[in-house]
Parts: sequence; C-alpha cells; structure tokens
Amino acid sequence: MAAVGAARGAPAASEVLNLFRSFLKETRKFADYNIREYIKRRTGESFRESRDLDAAAAASAFEFGKKQLEVVRRQSVVYSLYAPRVKNIMELKFQES
Amino acid sequence: MERGGRQLSSMLRGAVLRHLQIPSRPQQGAAGFVGDGWGEAIRRRFFSEEVHSHGTYLNKTEVTDRVLNVVKNFHKVDPSKVSPSSNFQKDLGLDSLDTVEVVMAFEEEFGVEIPDSEADKIVTCADAIDFIASQPQAK
Repeated sequence: MAAVGAARGAPAASEVLNLFRSFLKETRKFADYNIREYIKRRTGESFRESRDLDAAAAASAFEFGKKQLEVVRRQSVVYSLYAPRVKNIMELKFQES
Repeated sequence: MERGGRQLSSMLRGAVLRHLQIPSRPQQGAAGFVGDGWGEAIRRRFFSEEVHSHGTYLNKTEVTDRVLNVVKNFHKVDPSKVSPSSNFQKDLGLDSLDTVEVVMAFEEEFGVEIPDSEADKIVTCADAIDFIASQPQAK
C-alpha cells in the first residue's frame, strides 16, 4: 500500500519523516566529522527544498530520496575503510575554564 | 604460588567480564570467587556500579535537566523559550524535520534507541522526558 501510494501520489508525511530519520541514522556511521556533517546538512537542505512540491513531484523526489539513501549506505561502507586516525578538532570537547 | 595464580586468574576474569559488560550473577562461578578476597573486591567495586548505571531508571529531575539542555542547544531554538511543557512545533517554531533531529539528539544524549513509532509521538519536551524516564537502559 505504502509503495503503491508512493509511486502514484504524494508520500505520506510519516513516510517522509521516516526516510529523513533513516538518513540521519545512516549519517552517524561516518567516522569523519567533515563527511558526517556534510551529509547531515545536505540531507536537511534537500528535504526542505522539496517542502512545497506538488503530488507528482513529491512522489518522484521521494523515490529519488530512497535511491540516495542507498548511495549513503554504500558510501558509509567505503568511508569506513578510510576512517581518519585522529579526531577532527571540532569533535574535541574542551573544558570550559 | 598456587594462591597467586588463583588471584591472577580471578582478576583477569573480572577484567574480561567487565569489558564484555556481562551482568554479575553471584551463583555463577561461585566456587572460584567466594572466599577469594581479590575477586570479591573487584566484583563489588565494578559490577555494583555497572548494574546501577545499566539497570535502573534515571531520576526524573536529571532527565528533565538534560532534555531541556539538549533542546536549548539545538541551533534553531531560542533557549529562553524552552520549558518542560514546550511543544517543539507550536512553541519553539521548529518544523517536523527539526523535530526528528531533536529526537535523534535525545537518542545520542541518553544512549537509547527510540523506535519510529515512539519517535512520532514525541512532540513536546514533556513527552521526551516521560519516554526517557520510562527507559531502564537510558544513561
């Protein structure tokens, strides 16, 4: 039902939010701070750009999003092979004096 | 010599168990532990705290403070508007995507997994506080 709905009309809000959540969960797997923050930012921007699409455009954007999620999944594997040895300075927590 | 070997093996065992985060069960391996001062001391020192931090509910005041802190630190929120009854969308001006991000931030702060069906129900700070206070594995 959900799959048919996505192919024909606009996806339900809950489906979109679940897709967004899946992106963020996948994003956590990237060890490199820069890559991780980039994907997070890019995900948010893309979802917000698609806010006011009509039904047909929203459906194709949703399908595109699902494909992009697979891309992120594959990339998380690739990047895990080249994980940085040291943390980015942005990740370090300094003691406030 | 024999005594030293026993001590060493029970220390190693304590360290390994601690590393694997296996909850302590007094009856398990009791023959090796009971009466062995070192094993007993190590077990009391490390396992009691661990059981405490993994198996009990967090204090509600602490949960409230930490939840509000997470919300206040979210970049789109005006910290002065945050209160336990704040609704993310109506009071704090967040959109539905921001709400998802805030709920993910709660997951990271408390080390819990919030299933999609529960995450959709969290729309106010109070919802988040209640959910986390009901999770024994929250830390």
